[in-house]
Amino acid sequence: MPPAVKEKSKKVAALPAKAPLPCKLKFQADLAPSEDSMVRILKTELQMTSNTDFLSDALALLRWAVSERKRGHHIVSESSTGERKILLFPRLERVAPEMTLPRVDVRWTDKELESLAELASGQPADPTDALIRAMRQ
Amino acid sequence: MAVTIRRLEESDEVEGFDCGDEPLNNYLKRHAWTNQQKVSIGVTYVGVDESASRTVLGFFTLAASSVPRDRLPKKYVRGLPPYDLPLILLARLAVDKRFSGRGLGHALLSEALKITLRVADEVGCRCIVTDAYPDKAGWYARYGFLPLESAAATSPQKMFLDVRTIRRASSIDSFLPERA
Repeated sequence: MPPAVKEKSKKVAALPAKAPLPCKLKFQADLAPSEDSMVRILKTELQMTSNTDFLSDALALLRWAVSERKRGHHIVSESSTGERKILLFPRLERVAPEMTLPRVDVRWTDKELESLAELASGQPADPTDALIRAMRQ
Repeated sequence: MAVTIRRLEESDEVEGFDCGDEPLNNYLKRHAWTNQQKVSIGVTYVGVDESASRTVLGFFTLAASSVPRDRLPKKYVRGLPPYDLPLILLARLAVDKRFSGRGLGHALLSEALKITLRVADEVGCRCIVTDAYPDKAGWYARYGFLPLESAAATSPQKMFLDVRTIRRASSIDSFLPERA
């Protein structure tokens, strides 16, 4: 009978949709022999057996590096003698805030520009105590 | 109070912010995020307490700019490199009045100057410039900002700090007693 069929079809339609299964992404990379060798060495050093674990750890490390650089932080290694090296990785520099400062036009009066040019072309002033403290903070 | 300074995020709580100056409050609440993420005309950094990391206690906004060389008076350009003069604009800086007097303004300016130095080191800039309210010009002057002469006593006052001065300050190791 038509009404019963309608009702049934309504009930079916009201059922919650099945949640999509989490999709696992396959990752395949063409590595040069030297890179392949490097992966093997790193896996041995890190006592890893699976490529999945290797990729997962590499991803976590890169994600952390990107988030730090996005905040303007530098990634530094420090030796036991206190010697510091700053990581300069061109792709990371693309996300650094100082590289993404937008440009704006400032309105200047002629008098202000003259004053600006005079100060910028002259000898720099000595830093004040407050400035030294600010840079040390 | 342990303050962290970081870039403004969309989920930050800005509605309760009150520095006592409506244009600055309004900028943070209505324009800072849009200007940073959508139209890209300024990056806003916020000071937050680690125990309530979404509540903004203070902020500043930076942008890059430059002055075309041909707009600078001829008598000074010989002392400058043969290019436009790149600079950083400290467009805004404000502290919630409930947290004023705790050194937050100092911490925010400190971070702004460190970013300026990094910009100078990585992409080049010659100075940082700000538009200070007349009653705040003295505060900026303590950090070495110099007032630019203006044709009229207009508000606000443009102020200048040379990157070479900031760099020199960052390299000084001598002992300075902490301010009480």
